[in-house]
Amino acid sequence: MRIEKESKKEFIKLLVLFMAIITPWILGIAYFSKPADSVAEHSIKLVNYKADVGSRVDHQKFLILQQDFKTPQDVTAACVSCHNMAGQDIMRSSHWTWAREYVTESGDTLQLGKKNMINNFCIGVSSNEARCTSCHIGYGWEDENFDFTDSRNIDCIVCHDQTGTYKKFPTAAGYPVNEAKKFGNTLFQAPDYAFIAQNVGSPSRQNCGVCHFVGGGGNNVKHGDIAMESNQASKEIDVHMAIEGANMDCVACHIADEHNITGNLYSVSSDNTNSITCDQCHTNYPHKNQTLNDHSNKVACQTCHIPKYAKASATKMNWDWSSAGQFNEDGSTLIKKDSAGNITYHSMKGTFVWENMITPEYYWFNGKADHYLLGDKVDTIDAIQVNSLLGSYEDEFAKIFPVKVHRGRQIYDPVNQILILPHLFGKDSSAYWTGYDWNKAAKAGMKSAKLPYSGQYTFARTEMYWPINHMVAPAEESLGCSDCHSRDGHLANLAGFYLPGRDRSIFLDRVGFILIVMAIAGVAFHATLRIAGKRNN
Amino acid sequence: MKKRTYIYKGFERFWHWSQALLIFFLALTGFEIHGSFSLFGFKDVVKWHDMAAWAFIVLIVFAIFWHFATGEWKQYIPTTKLVKAQISYYITGIFKGAPHPTHKTIYNKFNPLQRLIYLGLKLLIIPLQVGTGLVYMFYIYPNNPAHVGGLGLVAIIHTFGAFSLLAFIIAHVYLTTTAETPLTSIKAMLTGWEAIDVDEKEERSKHLQQAVNDSAAGYYRIDSNGIFVDVNQAWLDFYKCTQRDQIIGKHYSITRDKKDLAELDLLVSRVLFGEFITGVPATRKCMDGSSGKHLLSANPVIENEEVIGMEGFVLNISEAEGLSEHMYYTVRNSGAGYYRLDDKGIIVEVNNAWLELYKYDNKEQIIGKHYSITRSPNEVENLEKSFNSVMKGETITGKIAIRKCRDGSTGRHILSANPVFVGNQAVGMEGFILDITTLEQD
Repeated sequence: MRIEKESKKEFIKLLVLFMAIITPWILGIAYFSKPADSVAEHSIKLVNYKADVGSRVDHQKFLILQQDFKTPQDVTAACVSCHNMAGQDIMRSSHWTWAREYVTESGDTLQLGKKNMINNFCIGVSSNEARCTSCHIGYGWEDENFDFTDSRNIDCIVCHDQTGTYKKFPTAAGYPVNEAKKFGNTLFQAPDYAFIAQNVGSPSRQNCGVCHFVGGGGNNVKHGDIAMESNQASKEIDVHMAIEGANMDCVACHIADEHNITGNLYSVSSDNTNSITCDQCHTNYPHKNQTLNDHSNKVACQTCHIPKYAKASATKMNWDWSSAGQFNEDGSTLIKKDSAGNITYHSMKGTFVWENMITPEYYWFNGKADHYLLGDKVDTIDAIQVNSLLGSYEDEFAKIFPVKVHRGRQIYDPVNQILILPHLFGKDSSAYWTGYDWNKAAKAGMKSAKLPYSGQYTFARTEMYWPINHMVAPAEESLGCSDCHSRDGHLANLAGFYLPGRDRSIFLDRVGFILIVMAIAGVAFHATLRIAGKRNN
Repeated sequence: MKKRTYIYKGFERFWHWSQALLIFFLALTGFEIHGSFSLFGFKDVVKWHDMAAWAFIVLIVFAIFWHFATGEWKQYIPTTKLVKAQISYYITGIFKGAPHPTHKTIYNKFNPLQRLIYLGLKLLIIPLQVGTGLVYMFYIYPNNPAHVGGLGLVAIIHTFGAFSLLAFIIAHVYLTTTAETPLTSIKAMLTGWEAIDVDEKEERSKHLQQAVNDSAAGYYRIDSNGIFVDVNQAWLDFYKCTQRDQIIGKHYSITRDKKDLAELDLLVSRVLFGEFITGVPATRKCMDGSSGKHLLSANPVIENEEVIGMEGFVLNISEAEGLSEHMYYTVRNSGAGYYRLDDKGIIVEVNNAWLELYKYDNKEQIIGKHYSITRSPNEVENLEKSFNSVMKGETITGKIAIRKCRDGSTGRHILSANPVFVGNQAVGMEGFILDITTLEQD
């Protein structure tokens, strides 16, 4: 009887020890398995945002707008007769100047922008103005002699037209047509200026989109994250612009003061002034989970919240100019298309690669960019960086950003070691799209840009970087931890820092593995000897 | 000398097993964060690892407090003494069945290698893991909280620590099997009890102290003025005191009738002069006025070479004592045969009647022999059954048995048997036999 009692006591003691160790774990599990970060919807925290409602004005009532406008400049004159400071404001803006002031490290102030930089698509503006400036908010910028100080040349209605009838002609230096005219298969009508002028308002997505959605000569060619479908987007494509979602206009985020529209496009911008950030509305602590909020020190919101871009239409990922100039046997323009209708070859432009539902590439980016400036000497060992996003892990201001990298091959002067700005567009035979002679085009283009040309050309690999900011996905589609914290995750190629789950010291892992194996083997060996020794004894 | 001892205290075991569980869990979750495998998913595993880390830190804080509060930290003071012996024991001695070179005692729980390794864990590996772990946990920006230039170095050190701990655990778990039996050490860490070496001197003084306390003999001590300073429970019982303060502080004269007091006065004065009294009968006066008889011993209490009092024992001589004496002679002189076996079945005591029945001349011929000698081969089984059931605690009151006498003849007797208890343990069997050989013949 007493023996039983003793062992019972012993058992209870053990049980108490066991419970003391186990109970905190059970409590922990119970506590932590509470659905703290549940998918239960919570309202998104916003500050500073409310839809912009201007004072209501019925422009139809203004007598000055009830005239029979002969030229678009007449409309502008009518606009600025009331909005008498708007002209000055516009002419300071980069939408007008296609350039911004940029202070170099050595202290020089430069005017840098679309006007004098090259890109990875149709290369450069100089000598091609009349084609390029169909997206300029002005009239008549057809060569270097355009007067940037004449407010009558401002195109007010391209941004403010609410009728949807106003269209600039693609090759008319920013002018619409006077009488109906075809461009390819598209018929352009002369605008009804009075009707348009009486129906103006704050720019809608369509207004911005006529240029920005089709940059590079077609839908979604350049950006990848804004395209014609943004006008009719679903939540899956873009939560902000979605018709059934926030249904926000571009200017809801790209707010403007005195016509200076905020936001930087790093194909042309170098500095991070005037930029827009998510936290302006969403605050610095948008998540309930502090760990996620902490991530924003080094990870841009876009990185997790834009897991894919070019979700509907494809975007151009590669443009190889070197193959341009091939024709059908009958001498007509050779055009090849893929099954989705994207042009994959064009005699005028060369070979294209299109993709959609693209996982971005990721780079450290501190909001500042470097650019290839016309005349910069550069070798072709690596791809020439048309622009480069600055920043690194060590950079206090740099974060990981999703980026579209557009790759290509551009005409290059191997003697002077500079990229060539070719004369592409024009009626003259030196224009490539007329004479298909790269040598003449290079000569004319470089002359216009006031740069030397050796007479020799080749094609060099180029890369251009486009940070992705739009096509924000619904929260449940954003990246999860293990999308990056894993061996082959989204950030597999982003070097220069230790990422838990991705990185390790392979040497240490081997040493550790050997250590464990040796420990087990040693134990097994020792145990064997012991057992053998016992038998012998 | 080994003795079953309570060596690992409650908190110590709680700490040890909690730590074991936490280290195991931290390794499991840690190596998932490291990218070695996928089990919980990165988000949850980080949460679990952090939670376990905090639990570990809390446990460490308590453990540090415990080690200092109990002085157990001294167990980890490193020593180079016998390190070589311990190493050579593990390398060679253990295979030959050599004894452990060091002895586990309650003051020296760890062998010198254990001391070194555990101290290394406590001072190097665990602080390293906690330190790098905290930096890992709070480092979310190049300059926060300390500029360590990224997680790389911290993570690598942390991983190194994890491998070290893992290797330690493998060796540690294995080495627990090197005690007496493979499970001895683990059982000890679970229950707290282990048979370990005890300091004989200390053990003895502890035991003596206990013996006086619990003795059936009454203990007393008086100072040089004859005032009671201390008595034990047995003394209180003899004197029918219900409380110690009935006697402590009183003069010894209240323990005697007037007519017996002079005798005690004389005895006290003799002892205070340094004499030892080894056994004097005395008649005490109890607190309730009744009286009793006892044997009294007394010796001087000496401090700094000066007699400061007297102490000794009283042994009761009561009616019961007389009875047990009577019983002793009864058994010895009984016509019934008496026997006693130990737990192995060896005969340890018989009386004269038993010797006569079995036809032995004297005790020496049978003491130390196994009981099977008392039965013919086909009868042994019966006795064995009885023995076994008695050892389980049963009592047999009357069973007919056929004995085999020393000369080979047989006889019949009725046998009684009951277990001999020491504490709760049956340590033998005893009983009587009554001869019925002649009875049967009639």
